[in-house]
Amino acid sequence: MPRNSFYSQVLWLVCVALFVCTGAAQEKPVALRGGKLLTVSHGTIEKGVLLIENGKITAVGTADSVKIPKDARVIDVSGMTVYPGLIDSETALGLTEISAEQMTNDLVEPSDEIMPHMHVYDAYHAESELIPVTRLNGITNAIVAPASRDTLPGQDSFVQLAGKSSEDALLIRDIAMPLNFSGQQRRGERGDRGKFPSTRMGLAAQLRQAFLDAQDYAQHWADYEKKKADYEKDKNDTAAKPDSSAQPEDKEKGKKQPPSPPKRDLKLEALLPYLQGKKLVVLAADEANDLQTAVGLAHEFKLKFVLNHISHAQSVLDYVASLKVPVIVGPIYEDPKPEERYDAVYSLPAQLSKRGVKIAFASYDAHNSRNLPYQAGFAVAFGLPYDEALKAITLNAAEIWGVDDKLGSLDAGKTANVVVATGDPLDMRTDVKQVFIEGKEIPMTSRQTRLRDQYSGQ
Amino acid sequence: MFLRFPSKRQETAIACFVFVTLLAVAAAAQDAPATHHDVLIKNAVVMTATHGNIPNGSVYIKDGKIAAVGKDVNAPASATVIDAGGKYLTPGIIDSHSHIALDGDVNEATNPITPHMMMIDAFDYQDKEIYHGLAGGVTTSLLLHGSANMIGGQAIVIKHKYGAGRDAMLFPGAPRSIKFASGENPKRVYGSRDQLPSTRMGNFEVQREALVQAQDYMREWDAYNAKVKSGDKDATPPKHDLKLEALADVLRGKLMVQIHCYRADEMLTEIAMAKEFGYKLRAFHHALEAYKVADQLAAAGVGIATFSDWWGFKQEAWDAIPWNAVIAMRKGVHVAIKSDSEDFARRLNQEAAKTMRYGGATEQEALQMITLNAAWIIGVEDRVGSIDVGKDADLVIWDGYPLSSYGVPNRVLIDGDVYFDRSLPGFGMPRYKEGM
Repeated sequence: MPRNSFYSQVLWLVCVALFVCTGAAQEKPVALRGGKLLTVSHGTIEKGVLLIENGKITAVGTADSVKIPKDARVIDVSGMTVYPGLIDSETALGLTEISAEQMTNDLVEPSDEIMPHMHVYDAYHAESELIPVTRLNGITNAIVAPASRDTLPGQDSFVQLAGKSSEDALLIRDIAMPLNFSGQQRRGERGDRGKFPSTRMGLAAQLRQAFLDAQDYAQHWADYEKKKADYEKDKNDTAAKPDSSAQPEDKEKGKKQPPSPPKRDLKLEALLPYLQGKKLVVLAADEANDLQTAVGLAHEFKLKFVLNHISHAQSVLDYVASLKVPVIVGPIYEDPKPEERYDAVYSLPAQLSKRGVKIAFASYDAHNSRNLPYQAGFAVAFGLPYDEALKAITLNAAEIWGVDDKLGSLDAGKTANVVVATGDPLDMRTDVKQVFIEGKEIPMTSRQTRLRDQYSGQ
Repeated sequence: MFLRFPSKRQETAIACFVFVTLLAVAAAAQDAPATHHDVLIKNAVVMTATHGNIPNGSVYIKDGKIAAVGKDVNAPASATVIDAGGKYLTPGIIDSHSHIALDGDVNEATNPITPHMMMIDAFDYQDKEIYHGLAGGVTTSLLLHGSANMIGGQAIVIKHKYGAGRDAMLFPGAPRSIKFASGENPKRVYGSRDQLPSTRMGNFEVQREALVQAQDYMREWDAYNAKVKSGDKDATPPKHDLKLEALADVLRGKLMVQIHCYRADEMLTEIAMAKEFGYKLRAFHHALEAYKVADQLAAAGVGIATFSDWWGFKQEAWDAIPWNAVIAMRKGVHVAIKSDSEDFARRLNQEAAKTMRYGGATEQEALQMITLNAAWIIGVEDRVGSIDVGKDADLVIWDGYPLSSYGVPNRVLIDGDVYFDRSLPGFGMPRYKEGM
């Protein structure tokens, strides 16, 4: 660190700026040569070559199998480990700056439990200082979710941690909707005592009513559309076959009025794609009883869902496996309950993986999202196979979020979100040397590196 | 009945009673393993924390203390042997900033100056967080008052002997520490009630005034004692005041001062105030801006107990950088990585490992931040914190490399006894039964 003089940092910045300005970084192919490639999808390639062209990975293979174009800029990454950009499956990135400073927070609307019409993309702040800090550790993509205080707090967005504005960063808006049923949502909170809902029964009833209201709403619109179609048909029929025998007065009397549309309701409208099974519900519960109640509701309304957290549901893991849905697991640092063994939550990923459940990890944080890979590493220490741990922050996450055609592994044709590091991505001793997002070299600087350089005696 | 000679029948009854009692004692001894006075840990990679690693090393423990360390050590044949199977062995982890086991009684937030609050009075020795820390390799913790008050209460030092009972968990002879605070927390707590202090000006004024009162108090007692000494039989003693007595102990240097402090400017103010009143600071806690004033901290001989990479949770943590610990260490500051959380307390080894990446701490430097340096913060560095002869046998045998994502304690010994064993079912604590 002290060797990185201020001037070399400046020089580096200038170089990167030049590349970006001239578009050279996008146009000229880049070949990463000599590194250990953790492809995730097809094993490890020692001393491999990875080719980046026009923001995409165009070749991945051994040195003799990949032909490096003549005009390519070759970067020697011998001794380095190369892996796909990491995906954090739940963060608050872009919704907070300083946790205790309320004016910097856009985490959740506390006025009601049912707020599906809140859209993360309306608040996402791409210029947040947290984003460069996070991507410096190799995290390139994230689900941004509203905080879990409401049962239905709004809709998630899928972002990439690069771009000058939220337009660039927001890859998929309203990608999924959290449904939080930890049994704690607002029950008995602050001045809420005496206000419905104050029990799990109340939460379930409130949620069921919201879904029924949305179904009714959809029906009203369907009825309207049908009436409107009938009206249009009648009108056309009448126009096509003028009844010459009718008197003009009768004609006027019998003329139907066009049907008036129902009033739009953004809250209920927001629920429709989820009730129609078109989009994913992220169903969060911690304990077995809450989990089963919430899954019951999800089945009742035929929701397409993945599970979230399930930190204290160890007694029903076979049931979880029988649901055949992926689980966003953790945070595995969740405190065990007094009656649980110290490693009850640490070992949950291994227990799920053993039962064939597809898992992904999430930081459930903003400032500490950068530590996502260490959670995966720690799960390895408690029995999760290493390859599964790496998948849980790359390919599994990409599959769960429906972006595995573009992200999650080092494969030709995918977006060039690529990380070059000094070693094992899951170990905190590993230093990330370079991050590529959409094939562009990300400046390896943040507010924190600038403070470091300013004060470390340079 | 024992006042007169027993009858034959009574003798039989007594014999039976004695026999049953012996059986019960024997059964109890089986339940909780006997204390081993002689233990030999062999076949370990011994990470001493002071003089490098000893591959294939051994540690001989006698009466709870480390009696020998090396490649080959002499141990009596009767010693209980623990074969570490080539695993790493480190000193027990020391958490120099913790609020566990206080049953939430962390802040007496009714007055900004409460130096007479004693954490011992709140100590909840049955708190499972002690076990969770133990399973993470923590053997000693400094339990501090919170940061609501400019001057909080007096800390206790515990050993994580979960199940051994309250008094057995207190670190014998550990020096007394007192917790000071500064910055946002006192401002917020009292400011939200429209009370003094609500600004940093108010914070330091409140602190200064308390110290001035303590000086007056000491003068009153000095004057009284002088009168008594000169034979004045009519001298009336001043009133005993617990609060001022505690502050007087700060001024007398009998209490180690541990200050919750984030911002660099506040650290400088605290150093100046300590100089003004003639007391010594032991450490700044959190100290996230220590890297800005590391030279001054080193010159003042003040250590820091800091987070590895936690940041941005409030305004005064906005300038936190993960290189803080190593920058301060390279300038000569005693640096410890601490938890301040029941979560981080379970994986301080990983937090320390981050200093190897952020700033390039060596393996031993990183280890020292959660062992020897932390012991220095607490003032028990001559007793624990390294694998050296004469120190308490507080040791951790690790599965995996301890300074990584993969390091997990396999066994934890305190004073030579195994308090945690990962291979055991249930809680993994051979000396604990639910309900103790």
